[in-house]
Amino acid sequence: MTYAHGKHAEPKTFLSKYIFSFDHKVIAKQFLWYGIFFLLIGGLMALMIRWTLAYPGEAFPVIGNWLFPETGGVIPPDTYSMLFTLHGTIMIFYAITPILIGAFGNYCIPLMIGARDMAFPTLNMLSFHLAALSGLILLSSLFFPLGGAAGGWTSYPTLSTLVGSPGIGQTLWCMAIFVLGASSTMGAVNYITTIISFRAPGMGYFDMPLTVWGLWLTAILNAIFIPVLGAGVMLLIFDRVFGTTFFLAGAAATSGTGDPILFQHVFWIFGHPEVYILILPAWGIVSDFLSFFARKPAFGAKATALAMTTISVLSTLVYGHHMFTTQMSPLLTQSFMTLTMTISIPSAILFANWLGTIYKGSIRFTSPMLFSLGVVFVFGLGGLTGLYLGTVSTDLYLHDTYFVVGHFHYTMAASVLLGGFAAIYFWFPKMFGRMMNETMAKVHFWGTMIGLNGVFFGMMVVGHAGMHRRLYNPFVYEFLQKLIPINTFITYSAFVMGFAQLPFLWNFFHSLVKGKVAESNPWEVGTLEWTLPSPPVNYNFEEIPVVQCGPHEFGNPNLPEGKDFQYQTEKLVEA
Amino acid sequence: MKIDIREKIQREEASNIGFSVAMISWGMLFASLFLAYALYRFKETAWPPMGFEKVSLVWPTTSTIIIFLSSCTYYLYQKSYFMKQVKSTKFFYSVTVLFASLFLVSQKMLWATLHDSGLYTSSGIFASILHGFTWVHAGHVGIGILAILFVIPSVKTQNIGNEKFRIRMANVGKFWHFLGIVWFLMYLTMFVL
Repeated sequence: MTYAHGKHAEPKTFLSKYIFSFDHKVIAKQFLWYGIFFLLIGGLMALMIRWTLAYPGEAFPVIGNWLFPETGGVIPPDTYSMLFTLHGTIMIFYAITPILIGAFGNYCIPLMIGARDMAFPTLNMLSFHLAALSGLILLSSLFFPLGGAAGGWTSYPTLSTLVGSPGIGQTLWCMAIFVLGASSTMGAVNYITTIISFRAPGMGYFDMPLTVWGLWLTAILNAIFIPVLGAGVMLLIFDRVFGTTFFLAGAAATSGTGDPILFQHVFWIFGHPEVYILILPAWGIVSDFLSFFARKPAFGAKATALAMTTISVLSTLVYGHHMFTTQMSPLLTQSFMTLTMTISIPSAILFANWLGTIYKGSIRFTSPMLFSLGVVFVFGLGGLTGLYLGTVSTDLYLHDTYFVVGHFHYTMAASVLLGGFAAIYFWFPKMFGRMMNETMAKVHFWGTMIGLNGVFFGMMVVGHAGMHRRLYNPFVYEFLQKLIPINTFITYSAFVMGFAQLPFLWNFFHSLVKGKVAESNPWEVGTLEWTLPSPPVNYNFEEIPVVQCGPHEFGNPNLPEGKDFQYQTEKLVEA
Repeated sequence: MKIDIREKIQREEASNIGFSVAMISWGMLFASLFLAYALYRFKETAWPPMGFEKVSLVWPTTSTIIIFLSSCTYYLYQKSYFMKQVKSTKFFYSVTVLFASLFLVSQKMLWATLHDSGLYTSSGIFASILHGFTWVHAGHVGIGILAILFVIPSVKTQNIGNEKFRIRMANVGKFWHFLGIVWFLMYLTMFVL
């Protein structure tokens, strides 16, 4: 039974407890399992791609013969296209989004704002089930004749029309993305509403943890821009299934033809905000964690929140920099370039505030803090290399090279992944009532950091040297043959990164069962979720808390001896 | 568990905010389609493109009148409901459902007219737009009809005037009026201009 304000009766059966649960905490865990499952699939695909680039024409080790018996274990060219298409799609939409937004959005928002659940629990449940349906549609495409989609994660026409992608795979890709878009929009409606309507008494917007700010802004961008992609893929489905010609150009030019470039517009109107949709939760999380583990108030917390807001607004105005090479007018390219550059200003504020937060802090190098510092480092690199792609003159040279791949992996993959791991290590005790092993977490951190920098920095190097993305075997071109050793190095780094996830998996599953039992507040921070037992009970709060101070009250000299933080429910201690 | 006043107000506020956000999302979906249409249209030197003629306004105009009337009857249904006028509530609700269904019939007639004029889905971008966009809108009208049916318990005699249906009725109404506005914009830009 569902009550007002999202209260729901304690579930008794397996189905109501684990499958059709209304509880935001259970739905968060469902998204977490879902995300980790797809992360492993997407990761395996990445290793296959890298293997092909390091050892073209050689069988993929261990499982190659089983997966590709016709070619003796060698990944064939059409499968290679499918692999990089689905790797991108899965990692962005089915791994990172569910983990950071689905899992931690669901878990953290009600707990951190002092609510008992999401505003619309049924919609929340539906959101996960639609995401599950979407995942099934996408994976099922692999089992149809001609396999899954192979037009790249951007699915530009004409690659994605029937001309470029015959077979049902691309159609199923479009359907999966459309269904997932509906799921994300439902989530966004819930997040936005919950944050506006169900904040605990006393909690103003600037009293919200920055994690909540990040998730809120993400939800706003999601609600506005996912339907734009929805419209695009819907028209693509019409083209593929009903024979319309929205994205078909060519022979019909004299009688009114479609326009493949239109899809690029629609895709990037969504796609550029999507970068921030993915990174904003990680920024929020990192902004909080740096303060929590430096045992200092977040430096310029309001400015950080406003910088994130400004970046969100600007992110909606710069999509054209993805399309400099589509014969855009110089006036437009310069406008988009200038707008893109202005994002540097709030980004610099954000970075300065992060550095200001840890400056002279009593830093505790716990696993969430290490991963947060990792985000600061890799996002710095990703952000700075983005300037070259936002500038017309350099973008014309670097467009469609591995430099782009390296850049967006630093921003969208490395930063978001590290932010996701930071969140998992931090909230695992609250979610499951047990601690994860810190030593294993640190092994995981260093393995991942070394591996990912080898991969993504290497990609930028080969991209700058002129190696184009999406080529099955770039080394048939003589000028690229000298890049084989560095590609081999990138592949080794990818395997290091891949193997570095084994300690994480072991740690995660082992800790679920045998981890040390967690106290209610093992990290000694004051946000509302840590006032509850680990894991929190059904409905979260017996009494809705009253918030009396901000989320980053650390190091107050007026606090009693031995305590360096206070809960948000406590009145600010004064002299 | 008791529902206190504060939570009831929160619930109402949440419902309004949530539905407004959902409407913005739907608005963006249709805005994207209009953007696409604008790009296609301004790219062409003549519209309809060479070889095509303007579509007869008979069925588009009929659809416009029907959906406008359905919005009016929905409004009157809501008004009668809160004035506890049993007969007129039932009447206006039934007429709304009828008009909503008639709108879909008029769309079917429009598609038949397009086919009769040789405008099939694959006949170039002009026909693609006419078919594709009206399909998307009609799909939403289908959802709108389901939403209107969702408030059917409100027309039970003993329920008329009951506050508990207020939010549901208001949200369904907003969605239905929204679809009417979208259709009117489609009518103006795709058929009249």
